[in-house]
Amino acid sequence: MSLEHFILLSLVLFSLGLYAVMARRNLIAILIGIELMLNAASLNFMAFNRFLPVEDPTVGQLFVLFIIGLAAAEVAIALSIILIVYRERKRIDVDDINELRG
Amino acid sequence: MGGITGLMMALAVAGALLAVSLKNVLHAIFGLALTLLAVAGLFAVLGSPFVATMQVLIYVGGITVAMVFAVMLSTVVQQHAAESPWRRAGAAVVAVGFAVGVGLVVIGAGLPDGPPPPMIADAWSVKQVGHSLLADYNVVFEALSVILLLAIIGAIVISRRDPEETPS
Repeated sequence: MSLEHFILLSLVLFSLGLYAVMARRNLIAILIGIELMLNAASLNFMAFNRFLPVEDPTVGQLFVLFIIGLAAAEVAIALSIILIVYRERKRIDVDDINELRG
Repeated sequence: MGGITGLMMALAVAGALLAVSLKNVLHAIFGLALTLLAVAGLFAVLGSPFVATMQVLIYVGGITVAMVFAVMLSTVVQQHAAESPWRRAGAAVVAVGFAVGVGLVVIGAGLPDGPPPPMIADAWSVKQVGHSLLADYNVVFEALSVILLLAIIGAIVISRRDPEETPS
């Protein structure tokens, strides 16, 4: 397994996440796509951290830890927004949320 | 290392495919959990069991469960109107175009081939991670703490019902 394999795997994960964000209509399915993209980024950091002769190998790990923490915060906010949209609409499709459209 | 790593990579891609293709959102979340577990295994292979543990604890144990709760609270009717084929085709074209473009760049970039350099046990230890986190990068650590606190308060404020609102 070389560095290229890991980078290509993370590219596949990112593209699938991108597809989910653009194609799906359910808000939770879009959130799943965002999580996939965040994980692809984490995998990139860890792979470069391991395969390149870095000076301080803790930096890549810290990046991943910070990404995980930010993802937790993001999911908390997003799920509460989804719940309040459901409470107003009884649906969570993105096509229904258009009050702010100009 | 080769066999197990390849298996985990295959599991990650399979889980991601399930996550983006299944109609039922609950099943899609289980696909996402499979991907997250496989990525955690890859983190362990890449030399950091600590980050792998955190990935399992926070992502699989926390975020996935929270999403399952949200589905159960919000999706009474499980089936949704299907996405229009045009929308899916457009998204697939953009995603495949992105993958091919970036893939060509990655293959042509001349990344170093071959096995990783040997690990220095001291530099990769959890002790070193903790030292780095609280000495060199403590400002980032504190900022992330504040962000998490704000996210918790924000989630409570957003999802609270108004007291005078009649419950529906």
